[in-house]
Amino acid sequence: MKAIEELVGLLSRLPGIGKKSAARIAFHLLRVDGSYAAALAERIEGIQARVRLCSVCGAYAEDDTCEACSDPRRDRSTVCVVEQPQDVLTLEASREWRGLYHVLGGLISPLDGVGPERLRIGTLVARVRNEGVREVVLATNPTVEGDTTALYVKKALEGTGANVSRLATGIPVGGDLEYADRLTIARSFRHRTIL
Amino acid sequence: MRLVSIETRSFRNLEDRPVDTDAERVFLVGENGQGKSNFLDAAYTLCFGASFRSALDGEAARKGQKAWGLGAYVDDGCAVQRSIRVLWEEGAKRILEDGKRVADRKELVARNPAVVFCHEDFTFASGEPERRRFFFDQTASLASADYVDRLRSYRRALRMRNASLREGRVDVVEVLDEQVAEHGLALTKARAGLAARFDPVFAERFESVSRIGTRVGLEYRPSWPVELGIRDIVERLRSKRREELTMATTLSGPHRDRFRFAQEGAGDFSDSASTGQLRLLALTLRVAQAVFASEETGRPPILLLDDVLLELDPEKRRRFMEALPSTPQAFFTFLPGEQWEAYRTASTLVYWTDDGRFARKEG
Repeated sequence: MKAIEELVGLLSRLPGIGKKSAARIAFHLLRVDGSYAAALAERIEGIQARVRLCSVCGAYAEDDTCEACSDPRRDRSTVCVVEQPQDVLTLEASREWRGLYHVLGGLISPLDGVGPERLRIGTLVARVRNEGVREVVLATNPTVEGDTTALYVKKALEGTGANVSRLATGIPVGGDLEYADRLTIARSFRHRTIL
Repeated sequence: MRLVSIETRSFRNLEDRPVDTDAERVFLVGENGQGKSNFLDAAYTLCFGASFRSALDGEAARKGQKAWGLGAYVDDGCAVQRSIRVLWEEGAKRILEDGKRVADRKELVARNPAVVFCHEDFTFASGEPERRRFFFDQTASLASADYVDRLRSYRRALRMRNASLREGRVDVVEVLDEQVAEHGLALTKARAGLAARFDPVFAERFESVSRIGTRVGLEYRPSWPVELGIRDIVERLRSKRREELTMATTLSGPHRDRFRFAQEGAGDFSDSASTGQLRLLALTLRVAQAVFASEETGRPPILLLDDVLLELDPEKRRRFMEALPSTPQAFFTFLPGEQWEAYRTASTLVYWTDDGRFARKEG
């Protein structure tokens, strides 16, 4: 049936959704309450218009600035640097970080033709210089690209007076040594802390 | 570990049928081009996740087929056998152990070690330095999955640095100096340790088979001195900046390391050795690789020997067979005219190979 086939085709283009899952979702949508399907359609349609990037930090926002940048209770002297806007949501879920954010919009990757000028490093340096930032926490992923970007940002911040730190890497909390991969264990040994 | 049976589907010229391989020694006897090496490649692919005969997975598909599959049951001496499946279809490969997907090939290699002896090994003795680095990287990878991670990180950082050198991005090259130095130095130290431990294993076995009379050992000549620190390496890289920007490539580091076979009082053995001695050197490297992997991990690898005895005179054949380490399983290929009966034991499985089919030869 054409209507179902078209929907399955569109759904299967979503990340992590294969043809079978797409078909299951499509059949589910045929069975559910019509108001739910309408609300879902409306949210999908409006998401790109409603959500933009924060004019200050580059995180997702529904206004000109994001919730963190608009919150007067936030510590404005500390900034956490992340790769993508969705990383902010992940870190916010921990409720641990009370400072602000800065989204780079990617990682330095010469093999993909992505140089530092394509990232929001200049605006970060300007924020640190002009807004009295005393500490910058680099939260890029522990990959070669993430490490390279972190080192580049650290160098770019030299002379601003801000302390630059990197998120710790190692065994996950609540995790089991038995299930940790070897590289994680090796990193955990290198970055072990004195008790 | 032992592969107790191997089943293939649309894999090269092999018939789609399970073959019983539950023996310490499995002999495949047949004329050239009948499928003996293809069967060894199937066994290797099941252990290693990749072929030793071609770099492209698609090339293993039988003519006219767009997919292939391999399966094996593995006996670890436990009550329950394991299963391995390697499937290639629509340009993608899937590896499953006991039905669960293996995300990283290094995990498969760690659980199912195998060492293959083949004609191309000759290049380890007489070929480009890159071939020796390949051999010792493979040896280290069999012994340690950490080494695989280090090697991957170094190669990635190196490729990124070379791309930045080509683009003339000095600011990016500067931060990549630190990455290349960190991963490269770790690799250098790991290779130095490997060479020190591999040398006695190799030298003893080479002498017992070759009877040259003077010691031939392994010598590691790293591009960066092992005793240097990351800061020293970064300084070295910085001092060659102009030259590297002109050449658009990284001129020093583990990718330029050398491994030498040093003969006591006579320099590099590869320069003076005869073709026969070089063949023996390459074969002994594989024997030493198997012994080394076994000693380091406590898991003796499966041996896959592809037409290797053919290249040796009868006396050296005998010594070579004696030098082979004791492993739970070894596969040999022979031409019909060879004296394979001399190496057969009561438990050896012998198959006559003809056009991809394997017929059991009793008694």
